[in-house]
Amino acid sequence: MQHEILARPAATVVRLDLDEGESFTCEVGAMIAMTTGMTVETTSRSRGGSGGLLKGLKRMLAGENFFLNHFTAQKPNQSIYLGPQLMGDIRHHFLSSGTLIVQGSSWLASSPGIEIDATWQGFTSALFSGESMFWVKCTGAGDLFLSSFGAIYEVDVDGRYTVDTGHIVAFEETLKFGIGKAGKSLIGSFLGGEGLVCKFEGQGKLYCQSHNPPSFGTLLGPKLRPR
Amino acid sequence: MSTGNISSEPNSDIRFEITQRPDFALLSVFLEQGQKVFAEPAAMASMSPTIELKAGFKGGFKKTFGRMLGGESMIINTFTAQNGPGEITFAPGTPGDTIHYHLDQSTLYMQRGAFMVHTEGIELTGKWQGAKGFFSGEGLVLLKASGSGDMFFNSYGAILEIDVTDEYIVDTSYVVAFEETLEYRVTILEGLKRSSKIKTLFFGGEGLVCRFSGQGKVWIQTRAVNPFLNWVYRFRPSRSN
Repeated sequence: MQHEILARPAATVVRLDLDEGESFTCEVGAMIAMTTGMTVETTSRSRGGSGGLLKGLKRMLAGENFFLNHFTAQKPNQSIYLGPQLMGDIRHHFLSSGTLIVQGSSWLASSPGIEIDATWQGFTSALFSGESMFWVKCTGAGDLFLSSFGAIYEVDVDGRYTVDTGHIVAFEETLKFGIGKAGKSLIGSFLGGEGLVCKFEGQGKLYCQSHNPPSFGTLLGPKLRPR
Repeated sequence: MSTGNISSEPNSDIRFEITQRPDFALLSVFLEQGQKVFAEPAAMASMSPTIELKAGFKGGFKKTFGRMLGGESMIINTFTAQNGPGEITFAPGTPGDTIHYHLDQSTLYMQRGAFMVHTEGIELTGKWQGAKGFFSGEGLVLLKASGSGDMFFNSYGAILEIDVTDEYIVDTSYVVAFEETLEYRVTILEGLKRSSKIKTLFFGGEGLVCRFSGQGKVWIQTRAVNPFLNWVYRFRPSRSN
């Protein structure tokens, strides 16, 4: 599978070129356009539960949708364009071994050698004040495409590093992590606008995004009519 | 894809330049004395004092109504270089790209909201899609531009140009414009069709695609307003609070 990342950095899309028999997985809704020689199959993954389409539908209605489309090229020379919902960039990460933990809305697509587990509970969901934030554990070997809100930047952590939870795109599982507050006192941290942060320790790669999607959402939301 | 500036060509009816692509495209047109352009309301960003603006209905009731169905305003602004040559800059309402297309006794279809500016010699009408448009929801309500002249259309996000030589599939939200030589039909992405229980109800428009066939160009945008709105929707306050 070949890929090309286009229209960087604000309205970025990725084009995947597939040969006959090649396949990949992406989130439902990521497909923008494609050639006609491909088949699509829809499945679901869930946070804290097993797969299955009907179960997935219930969770989708509960706002916990995580539906996957599996595309397989049935003919040679197929191509597809994928893009995220928000303005931002796309980064390719080749996973050779080990595990990458990806923030749910940053996971755009991956090749079939990568196992996708959205039940990962490393961070307790309650900490994210109902922001429907979930995490995808990617294990195996292959291509991963990560999307960001705003620009994406890479940090090679060696020692300790602190990131606001809303700015995390993905990180290698070799990193130890703990959720904490940015300042010394909890009230001080919240008043300073820095809520919960993730404190990483060890050695590993970390991808961050310049903008924080829940912050943007909570800025816009209250200005809209109640649902 | 091309990301550089787009400039007028020898066969263009007006001199123009599109800069700041693809995220914040800005169209500058340079009018000679007496030349005119027609623009979607609110598209004008700045202009020389020699230019006169006239807002109005264009083409009578039927065409105006057609444009309304096409998702554009009833009003089309006419800019005339009345008092000497001058420059006008236009920008779309969304951050995104602008593309130039030269019509030569031909027709171009545009998705609702994509039209920005055209020169004299082009007639703009709505194309009621009937069931085709209805089933696509926000999806595919088209404006039809026919005649000869220069057309400028815009997007949310960047614009990619696809040369369709056989068949091609585009999610309805991402269609910007296409040539009349292409046939199209709105359908459900086949993977979703197979498991009959879900279909479109749950996917709220996602999974509805436009299937093009034939030979011609289609322009797609790299972001779409509706998926973004769906994302924002989650952050709206709930009524009970």
